[in-house]
Amino acid sequence: MSTVIQENPVDVVCLGVGFMSGVVATELALAGNSVVGITKGPYWDYVNDYSTTKYDEWGVGLGRKYDSPLPLQSTTIRNNINQFALPVRRYTMPIQYHALGHGVGGAAQHYGGGMGRFGPWAYEMASRTASAYGSGFLASINPQDDTHDWPLTYAEYEPYYVEWEKAHGICGNYNGSPTNSPSDINYPWMSRNYPLPPHPMTPLGQLFQSTVQGMTAPNGQKYNPFPTVSALSSQPYTNQYGVTVNPCVYEGYCAGLCDYACETGAKANAAYRTIPAAINSGNFTLVTNAYIFRLELSPSGNQVVAAHYYDAQGNDHRQPGKVFFNGMWGYNMIRLMLLSGLGTPYVYNSGAGTGSGVVGRGLTNGYTPYRGTSVSGTVNIGGNSYPAGNGSGGGVSVFDLMDDNFSHSSISPPFIGGGLFGAGGYLGGGPGNITFAGGVSAPNTLNPNGAMGSAFKATQQNKYLPTKQSVGATPFAPDLPTFMNYIDLDPHYTDAYGDPVSRLTYDWTPNTYNGATYLVNQIKAILTQMGATNVTVGATVAPYSAHNDWWGHHLRGGLRIGTDPNAGTATAWAALSGYNQLYYNSNTAGVNYFAAGEITNTTGNNATAGTHAAGPQSYRAAEGIKKYLANVATSGVNYLAS
Amino acid sequence: MSKTTRREFLKIGLAAAGGALAASGLEIPLFGGNTSSLQNQITNLNKHISTVTGFLTLSIPEQQLLEPVVETIIPSDSTGPGAKEAGVIYFIDRQLASDYGQSGNMFMDAPHIPPNIPASSTTPPTPLTVKPSSAWAFLQNKETGAYLPAGGMGNGAAIPYLGASPTYTAGGTNYTVKYGITASPRVGSGINLQYPVNMREFWRISLAALQAYSNKYYSGNFQSLSSANQLQVIKDLWSNAPKTKTNPSPPADDLTGFSNIQASDFAYELTFMTWAGFTMDPIYGGNKDMVGWDYTGFNGVNFGNFYGEGLSQKTLMVASSPTKLKPASLAQYQQQATGGT
Repeated sequence: MSTVIQENPVDVVCLGVGFMSGVVATELALAGNSVVGITKGPYWDYVNDYSTTKYDEWGVGLGRKYDSPLPLQSTTIRNNINQFALPVRRYTMPIQYHALGHGVGGAAQHYGGGMGRFGPWAYEMASRTASAYGSGFLASINPQDDTHDWPLTYAEYEPYYVEWEKAHGICGNYNGSPTNSPSDINYPWMSRNYPLPPHPMTPLGQLFQSTVQGMTAPNGQKYNPFPTVSALSSQPYTNQYGVTVNPCVYEGYCAGLCDYACETGAKANAAYRTIPAAINSGNFTLVTNAYIFRLELSPSGNQVVAAHYYDAQGNDHRQPGKVFFNGMWGYNMIRLMLLSGLGTPYVYNSGAGTGSGVVGRGLTNGYTPYRGTSVSGTVNIGGNSYPAGNGSGGGVSVFDLMDDNFSHSSISPPFIGGGLFGAGGYLGGGPGNITFAGGVSAPNTLNPNGAMGSAFKATQQNKYLPTKQSVGATPFAPDLPTFMNYIDLDPHYTDAYGDPVSRLTYDWTPNTYNGATYLVNQIKAILTQMGATNVTVGATVAPYSAHNDWWGHHLRGGLRIGTDPNAGTATAWAALSGYNQLYYNSNTAGVNYFAAGEITNTTGNNATAGTHAAGPQSYRAAEGIKKYLANVATSGVNYLAS
Repeated sequence: MSKTTRREFLKIGLAAAGGALAASGLEIPLFGGNTSSLQNQITNLNKHISTVTGFLTLSIPEQQLLEPVVETIIPSDSTGPGAKEAGVIYFIDRQLASDYGQSGNMFMDAPHIPPNIPASSTTPPTPLTVKPSSAWAFLQNKETGAYLPAGGMGNGAAIPYLGASPTYTAGGTNYTVKYGITASPRVGSGINLQYPVNMREFWRISLAALQAYSNKYYSGNFQSLSSANQLQVIKDLWSNAPKTKTNPSPPADDLTGFSNIQASDFAYELTFMTWAGFTMDPIYGGNKDMVGWDYTGFNGVNFGNFYGEGLSQKTLMVASSPTKLKPASLAQYQQQATGGT
């Protein structure tokens, strides 16, 4: 590796080629700029890679054969700074079913297609909470709270949502807003409906819909159910870039607990929505199997001048450019910046309960703790739970238990936010041959012999042919940024090339648990009204009684957009403050705050992917890069300094 | 492939399969009762081709132990076939001989620190050592006597101990958090398996330890125990009883004490891999004749019309009562998709 291979300079270098880079690369290439996209994996072709081999729970679902190889790189996890962080050794099956993506499309190769908008409250969570409940309210819930507003409001992001939904062929029918007008300050109003209709509704979805339509929500108004939003196309479709999309064929190897690549390209993904248009423009170069390991800074340290990557033979390539867009997955993006000395690393001051610096700050988790207060019942609706359907269609949701759509002023224990609650996703959204109790459970009071012996075996007989089904939820309010949760470089473990891996210091915050006590009772009322029998609320689970041993579960934050340089690293344009060239966004980093505590009901239907708000932000970044190239790079006028 | 060629291929194949059978010493009814016509032979061979037996990596003592283990986890009983009929042991053998056994997709960088070290511990965590069996002796550094950890890319630097468990206060509530020096992952978590050996070696050590434990505390090889005791032995593993039953503490390489391997980690692998062998596609060597899928009602890749049933996914997915489909395997699907024979 003594010789550095020089690549030709381009206007825009996209680091990673997933959802976010797909938008930026396509928008900039179609505008006539030269663009290079660099990904560590291949360009998957659904016809040749998936169509005859993906129906394989062992290889694809549990073995993650299309995902990022762990020997190349991993990450380490600890719950707080007092612990030694342990490295993730394998994709354990199926307790940790989310892996990093690999190649064009990234992690979107393996989601269930959950998609939807944040509401207005999500973008102004800190100020609206202070205004409604007092300035100390958040700090009274979460120790060392570090929550901030986004730099822009929902109304300012709304046009970007529309572009994002058009590009990816999102299915649904408005969002549950009572009036669907901008006057709805809480519900996510839409200036334009989703481009595709929802998927066929299940009997349970219909029951849920008709039940809640007749019920009063905690805010005193009727519930407003809407079809669960899905990023799996329900019809043939052509997006604004001229890319044609095949519809879902409902074969059911889609989500489940393991999430499958799509053999028709119906599952929205940069590889089948945006990148084909970028390639057709003639201005885009795709570099695959290339592992980005450094960003090279100018001598003064205030400009990024090149990206360095290893090719499959380990050669060091140097790719110069005018603008660098970091669309890597969350902690890989943070890691690359820390390895490159870009931005001010976050440093946690445990004694003071605060922190300084910004790169790595504000790590949150969009996925629920594995143990929480639950509610469940049984309805006499059977069905087929073997693969039949898809991972995000068929159900109905409500926003009325989310955000600040009801008053939180006299609830104990206190919390903010709530959850998107829904029911009726396809029973057969994905295979689940070994999904009992998070894999196989140890002997316990319920099953004295665990997952062993004749008595347990009998519970598995005809398990895919239910004549009734369990409905319920283990609800959580959103996880919020605190000073104690963050990303930095691990001092002990390295990737295959000898560079430190990322270290996650993370545990769920009290707000996530506190919401459950209230929400289970709202859901209990709905289940009872639905005619469910044996409706039971489980024991209360206290904060910090279960600790995070997962990774990669919808992690968000770590490099926040904001106008306060003490809290966020980037401007409202997603440019890094002080480094006008580097625009970042990824499905975690763009999401510095989020609204929906995700609720998993027993059909396995949960909202997925940090793309909820990062997607629109990628359009915002593309617009900022266009302005930069037109003004800053040519005439030195800095439009993006703040 | 022309028919003539196929016949010749089958003749050769049958001879080879017969040889393998004799060597393995296992009774497998390859051809059923009627071998009078070549067509019957083809039919029967196709039926069993995915489960022609023999072992790639399990030793004879390991085979003899593992068979009753998997049959304890999923017994054959009045409700239907179990691990024996599904050929679970062949699934596990093939996994141990391939990527799973080689830890081919695992991150193996050192140091290997055990999880679950309580906060009350006053000493910093030290890296795990698991004395490899003879099969791995080549990894021993002859000069220092040290065993090289698999992977071994890290520097194994000293681990700092950073302090006791913290207390957080919010809104008048004190949260005293019971953190350990290391995280306390659940069994089966991806940060739980911190061993410096690959999974084949993990199984080799653990199977030997299981047999030694059976002999020491249940007075005989596992395969000679009563069904109730067989189940109890595996439950002992789940509860890590072998460690607590050994007094004084065993030396690090005492297999009856499971060395530094948590017995519950092995119990998880045993149970998980047994269910996988029962319910994963037959292409991996288990789930013979799809008996596991037939038992659970799984469809495999029959999307409603594989055998001409005339059903569609769009109907099945919104049905309010179940329809059982005869399962189809990945190999069948590929055969049909390519229109081949």
